Amino acid sequence: MRIINVPREGVPVFTAEDVRRDPAMGRRVNVKTEVVVVGSGAGGAMVAYELAKAGRQVLVLESGRYYPSARFTEHLGDTMTQVYREQGSQFNSTADVLFPEGQCIGGSTVIGAGVMQRPPDSLLQRWANELSLPQFAPATVASVFAEVGREQFVHLNEAHEINATAHKVIKGCEKMGFSWKPVARNVRQCALTGHCLAGCLSDRKMSSLVTYLPWAAAYGARLFADCHVSRVLLRGGRAVGVEAVVRDPQTGAEVSRMRVDAEVVVVAGGAMQTPLLLQRSQIPDSSGQIGRNMAVQPFVQVLAQYEEPLYGFRGALVGVEIDEFMESDGYMFFSALAEPEQLMVQGEQAAGAEHIEFMKRYRHLAGLNAFALDEGRGTVSWEGDLETGRKVISWNPSQAEFDKLKHGAALAARVFFAAGAKRVHMPSFRPLHVDSVFELDHTLDQISHGLKGMYSLRINSFSAHGTCRMGTDRFQSVANPQGEVHDVKGLFLADASLLPEPIPAAPHWTVQVMAKQVARNILASASGLFLDGNA
Amino acid sequence: MHNNNPGPDEPGWMSGLAPLSRRGFLRTALLGAAALSTGCASLMRRGQVAPPRYQHLSEDDALVLQQLVRVLLPTAEHGLPSSYSDVPTLQNIDGMVGQMSDQTRELLGLGLWLFERRPMASFQFSRFSRLDEPQALRYVQAMQTGNFVERGLMSTLKTLVCVNYWRDARTWPALDYHGPVTELWGVRRLGNAPLPQA
Repeated sequence: MRIINVPREGVPVFTAEDVRRDPAMGRRVNVKTEVVVVGSGAGGAMVAYELAKAGRQVLVLESGRYYPSARFTEHLGDTMTQVYREQGSQFNSTADVLFPEGQCIGGSTVIGAGVMQRPPDSLLQRWANELSLPQFAPATVASVFAEVGREQFVHLNEAHEINATAHKVIKGCEKMGFSWKPVARNVRQCALTGHCLAGCLSDRKMSSLVTYLPWAAAYGARLFADCHVSRVLLRGGRAVGVEAVVRDPQTGAEVSRMRVDAEVVVVAGGAMQTPLLLQRSQIPDSSGQIGRNMAVQPFVQVLAQYEEPLYGFRGALVGVEIDEFMESDGYMFFSALAEPEQLMVQGEQAAGAEHIEFMKRYRHLAGLNAFALDEGRGTVSWEGDLETGRKVISWNPSQAEFDKLKHGAALAARVFFAAGAKRVHMPSFRPLHVDSVFELDHTLDQISHGLKGMYSLRINSFSAHGTCRMGTDRFQSVANPQGEVHDVKGLFLADASLLPEPIPAAPHWTVQVMAKQVARNILASASGLFLDGNA
Repeated sequence: MHNNNPGPDEPGWMSGLAPLSRRGFLRTALLGAAALSTGCASLMRRGQVAPPRYQHLSEDDALVLQQLVRVLLPTAEHGLPSSYSDVPTLQNIDGMVGQMSDQTRELLGLGLWLFERRPMASFQFSRFSRLDEPQALRYVQAMQTGNFVERGLMSTLKTLVCVNYWRDARTWPALDYHGPVTELWGVRRLGNAPLPQA
């Protein structure tokens, strides 16, 4: 019997500093492994765990740094500097839509709010029937959702996890007759600190940093941080490894070049980074869909001010959701109010004395994030050459998407007014607030789509997906139903880029389910993928 | 499955926006606006107290940001820690700029350059950094409600300034914000989650 020991805390990770200190590694490092996984977030960590558990040699490469949870300061500013991609300022090409993303060991699972949602069964059934993706049939996939849920202590928030912000949302929903429910989160014994976005210091949020990565390491997987994969290596229509550059996380200076020879390559960099890597690698793209069809699940945050102090930032960050419109209109609403500096990106709140007065009312605020289902028209592309090129994220709301977001903001405002709000701040690039529900329509009329919806509504996106969609038709999709890239043997994808269509649900849980399925598909095809030929 | 990314759906000049890169878009927009607003640039420079040297910000950038800090965060009048002497807002910005990519830093420099010169048309040929506080506040408010380029520029700079003030823990008592609590509350760290049992 094999004894598996998971470290009490932390994960064994090679960093740029380790490479620099080890004279044996030098300026060029060559590594051989059976499976190389690019990315250590929701998808990559799951694949690493499943394959290492099955006895495969696994190497995980992560471009971000290793930031152990013991070093979290519960200070969003610090975390943004250390573990958010581009210090939390990853924008679209017109620099008005923010795409926060984790860039660290554990990826975005480290900085997420832990919200776990299943897509509606009707959508999963449609994917099974109409897109010929039978693995998503509700009866088939339910057991995988349940398994992932058990592994991460997914549960509906209990009474003590529903804070004052959430209670205002509940009150408003009750008055409006809207359906609401506690949010499901992957948290073990939540300590109610409210610091989810800054990383969970007490390891209660079940990010990959404290779950699948230490488990994978316990089964023998090796992890490298600070390792920027520049391209996937192909030979004879088959993926045979990757090339990477190890960079100092502080200065960005190159420490070493790395070449990994692998029998299977799994790319799990997320919906932004995965298509960029495939484009840089000049992966055959018969469909022309690599980097296209990006759904961004845009959201705006409506802030409401109440007469009484709420301290709505205390307690679990996300308490309840409004599920009234999820299936009918694709809207999702989540109660949330985070750290003071986070307010700066949610709306334009005046200047000077007025700005300070607004901030001083922080303890009177409640927040509601209104997410809309978009059309999946965004693109991510790599422009320029391998060394000096750069990414371009293109997404601006169409008129229909803009109207939907505006309507979502209006619904959120009505919920807050129904719960007694004195003032509601609109998520706009100009300072706009409403003091009565009767002024709401007039105020909303001042927010117009304008030129491509630019700098009008203040939009954020946490959950891009669909940029390398899965499907049976190699002329319409990037990867096959097993997650393997059409026409490239041994190259698998395992992240949100695979989602075949925009989904009206937080994608975290679905991504982990898909990654588990992809890992099992790899194991099921082992005889054709691995040199040892063993299943 | 259908193709969600057909060709540009706008006719004529608007369709050209689609393939513009972030750098290209901003450069075009900012330089376009600059050309409109700075035709009568003042060549006169009034005496200015040189701000302290910064590692990543140029002296000109620091002057603009210094004025923005003064206008956006009049902390002294509101019993808040000073945005100069207590909270090193400009030094915080300098540190953040140091972590930015070259591309973002270049864009920020361009934005500050434009922001400094934009008031010339309507504020008696003065640069932003030389306006008195009431005038500077009026300029900021005008930018907040201006066209989409102005709103975008204003929001970006305001976010940069205000994030680097409110992120400092010394500002939190005034907001009744608790800040870090795990240690304070004696919350036990749980460590890694247990390995799932087969």
